[in-house]
Amino acid sequence: MAKSLGIFVTTTDSLAHVIGITKAAKAKGSKVKVFFTWKATNLSKDPAFAGLCDMADDVSICVDSYKKQGFNVEDIPEGLTSKKMATQAQHGILIEDFDCYLSL
Amino acid sequence: MKILNVYRSVPDETVQQLVKIVNRDRDTDNFDLTVENPDYDSLVDKIFEADQTICWW
Amino acid sequence: MEYKKVCFMYRHEDYAVDGIRSALGLAVENMYAYGVVIGKEIPEFDELTQESIEMLRDMEGDILSTEQANVEKNDFTAISIEELGEKLREMTHIIPYGAK
Repeated sequence: MAKSLGIFVTTTDSLAHVIGITKAAKAKGSKVKVFFTWKATNLSKDPAFAGLCDMADDVSICVDSYKKQGFNVEDIPEGLTSKKMATQAQHGILIEDFDCYLSL
Repeated sequence: MKILNVYRSVPDETVQQLVKIVNRDRDTDNFDLTVENPDYDSLVDKIFEADQTICWW
Repeated sequence: MEYKKVCFMYRHEDYAVDGIRSALGLAVENMYAYGVVIGKEIPEFDELTQESIEMLRDMEGDILSTEQANVEKNDFTAISIEELGEKLREMTHIIPYGAK
């Protein structure tokens, strides 16, 4: 059985890598969870973001970061639900509950 | 302990110094993300094989 | 139970404050969390960030820097690149955080 993969995203130029890695991992039968924080929450406005949400098993963003980046928390990015506007606890889950970890 | 070092840019002196110490006496591998079309399939295989992956700036 | 040891590294002032918040987020999840500002002098932190650092230290984490100016201004713990390299060897997770 394929290992599970948690991806922690902190950079603003990494969405293509996140999508490419998620696609490759899913093709191997892996469970993939992605969490975006701080400036990387801007990537939730990228047209490709919703496609990532469809592909990965779980995608969430840091709602506090999103707010600090100037977005309205009621304006939920396409592909997410209000439950996925989350806290840093999601990062803890990536570390504790997933076999492999990658920061981007 | 197998370490996978992934590079998002050409490693500068600071990164090279840290990698050298972290890699010391360990089984290591690396992956260059700066190329035009990274082989993500190969990267995922390497991540699954490694005990720890470090994605440097 | 083996506790996770996580080290964040920051090289850009726009990422240091939030990166420290991320480290604190893991410390409250019962992990050993460290943050290291490398090669960059950053402004004096506000009271809220200083409190976050104190909370992190109360939970056996720390914020360190290779820059003496940060040690003096923000009361970071001093560390050299060589010492940081050795510290990283003890970590279960290493996170070069944000932009360079």
